Amino acid sequence: MTRHTQLLLSGFSLLILLALLSLIMGAEPLPIKTVLQTLIEGGEEDFIVNQYRLPRILIAILVGMGLAISGVLTQGIIRNPLASPDLMGVSAGAGLAACSLLLIWPDISHLWLPPVALLGGFSAALIIYLLNRWHNPSPARLALVGIAISAFLSSCINFLLVLHPIEVNSAMIWLTGSLWGRNWDHLWPLLPWLITLVPFSFYLAWSLDLFALGEETAGALGVNTQGLQTAALLSALALASVSVAVCGSIGFVGLLAPHLARLLVGSRHKLVLPCAALVGALLVLSADTLARNLAPPLELPAGLLTAILGAPYFLFLLHRYKGY
Amino acid sequence: MNILFFTRQSKLLKPALLLTTLLLGFVLSLYGQSEFSLQASDLWRLLIAPDSGDIKQQVIVSLRLPRSLVACLIGFNLGVAGLLMQGLTRNPLASPTLFAINSGAACLMALNSIGFAFFSGLPGEVATFLGALCGGLLVFLLGGGLGSQSNPLRLILAGIAINGLLTSLTRAALIIADDKAYSMLHWLSGSLSEVDWQSWSQLWPLSLAALLLALSTTRGLNLNALGEQTATSLGINISWLRIRVCFAVLLLTAISVTLAGPIVFVGLIVPHFARALFKNNHFILLPASGVLGAALVCWTDLFSRAIVPPAETPVGIITALIGTPFFIYLVLKGKL
Repeated sequence: MTRHTQLLLSGFSLLILLALLSLIMGAEPLPIKTVLQTLIEGGEEDFIVNQYRLPRILIAILVGMGLAISGVLTQGIIRNPLASPDLMGVSAGAGLAACSLLLIWPDISHLWLPPVALLGGFSAALIIYLLNRWHNPSPARLALVGIAISAFLSSCINFLLVLHPIEVNSAMIWLTGSLWGRNWDHLWPLLPWLITLVPFSFYLAWSLDLFALGEETAGALGVNTQGLQTAALLSALALASVSVAVCGSIGFVGLLAPHLARLLVGSRHKLVLPCAALVGALLVLSADTLARNLAPPLELPAGLLTAILGAPYFLFLLHRYKGY
Repeated sequence: MNILFFTRQSKLLKPALLLTTLLLGFVLSLYGQSEFSLQASDLWRLLIAPDSGDIKQQVIVSLRLPRSLVACLIGFNLGVAGLLMQGLTRNPLASPTLFAINSGAACLMALNSIGFAFFSGLPGEVATFLGALCGGLLVFLLGGGLGSQSNPLRLILAGIAINGLLTSLTRAALIIADDKAYSMLHWLSGSLSEVDWQSWSQLWPLSLAALLLALSTTRGLNLNALGEQTATSLGINISWLRIRVCFAVLLLTAISVTLAGPIVFVGLIVPHFARALFKNNHFILLPASGVLGAALVCWTDLFSRAIVPPAETPVGIITALIGTPFFIYLVLKGKL
């Protein structure tokens, strides 16, 4: 067993431990025995464990994975350490689309959320792409434009929420990203997308390593660079948008997870990708667990905690980054 | 003779236009878009025959007038603050919003109002002032703005990150303190719906002091535009200038945030328009940015009431919607 396998395995067991912890803790702490019993055969606490906490944990894991993989792909293709779906306006675009859908048709089936969010994320990315074509700004400047577009779209969300006042916790989902009240109904629409997109990204990971050598070298080594770029960016877009559709844009995960993964396993994408997925899942799950337990029964949005962690890391990246 | 007259006229034309815009916005906001269906005639009657028994006149005097006045003064303050920051840093993107001064003030204001630790004992203005100071200092420290070779882009990106951090902290504090934090969310987007005469009396003395201080720095800022070394050799004490400008900016922003929450991007947009309209002389630019800012906030406030009556959209959201495209334009234009 190599060091990397060990690392991945220990990350995985950490994730399971954390999930268990998250099942136990909450406004109503349950003993571990009850939790395990309820998981297997139901019982009195069925609602809390199986209907409330379990889907939420699963969604946290899936969303964390989705955002992290999306971040790896974006950073791999753009070769910009400051790139990530939420800094490029994609998350905000997807959030705006999903949020407006839910505000206009509150009763619509959740199955519609991912495709609509995808449309929103895609439009935001298109704006960035066009601006990039016309002006070809430097990477740092591109990051700034992405942030500005995010800010614009977030103000639109803010504006929509003022027009249709809703309950503050649901508003927080779209303003900062939160897993409040997410249940099985939100999990099912997410699954088919992730089941197709995650293996596809793993398949892309093999060529991304060559791409890191530069476009020309990769082309000379037999990589279809144009195709790879399109495929990777589109799947990054889709992963981020679909994740955002369910629980709002949980900030900085797409930026943080790839960097942490690279710190852990180096820069080979077929290792970075699973590692980043694990780190992303761990990040979102621990943020949500913490958010539920800091001041029960009140809930903080998980996105606030990831932002409080992520913003200083972004500053650190800025400190190290030289290519202005 | 004719030509002379024409040039003199065109010199007056721009200020006159600016002031007319402001005045028009001010008058319109006194009676426009109200739940009480006020008319211009009510305003007219108030002027010629004040009658304290008339409910409409009372609404104008006790609700509308302070709100419009505060809107104008806050706009004036923010416009001047933006101009001062851009003048001092020679960075076209410098503004209270992007350097996290707004959000720092909002953060401590929120901590203050929920009674967190020792902040609760402070008066609101002191807390926002401290918050503005902390936000700005953090950005400069972490963005490398203190080093000699600071990169303007890095400073802005650092500002944005700290902005995000402080906003998150503010939201977290509000949610923990109060599960019905919706009105606070409203305030956090920058809203003028809560102001009254008391806010006006809170606002104007400090604003006046800060504006006078700002006015005293214009000569230094003009020379500073030539570069720090040139300014020093021309007899400007740069550190003293910096301290005065920073103090003025902090005061102007803090007092505005205390009353209306962070109204974003006014300080970024306005100085650019002022510079496009007038000569690059801070003595003229300062009142020009102020009036432009006042007009901007006044009109957006009017607009924010008009979009979805009877609900009020926070002004800050509208200025953000206007400001971000402008921000993108500035970034892409590449004047950094």
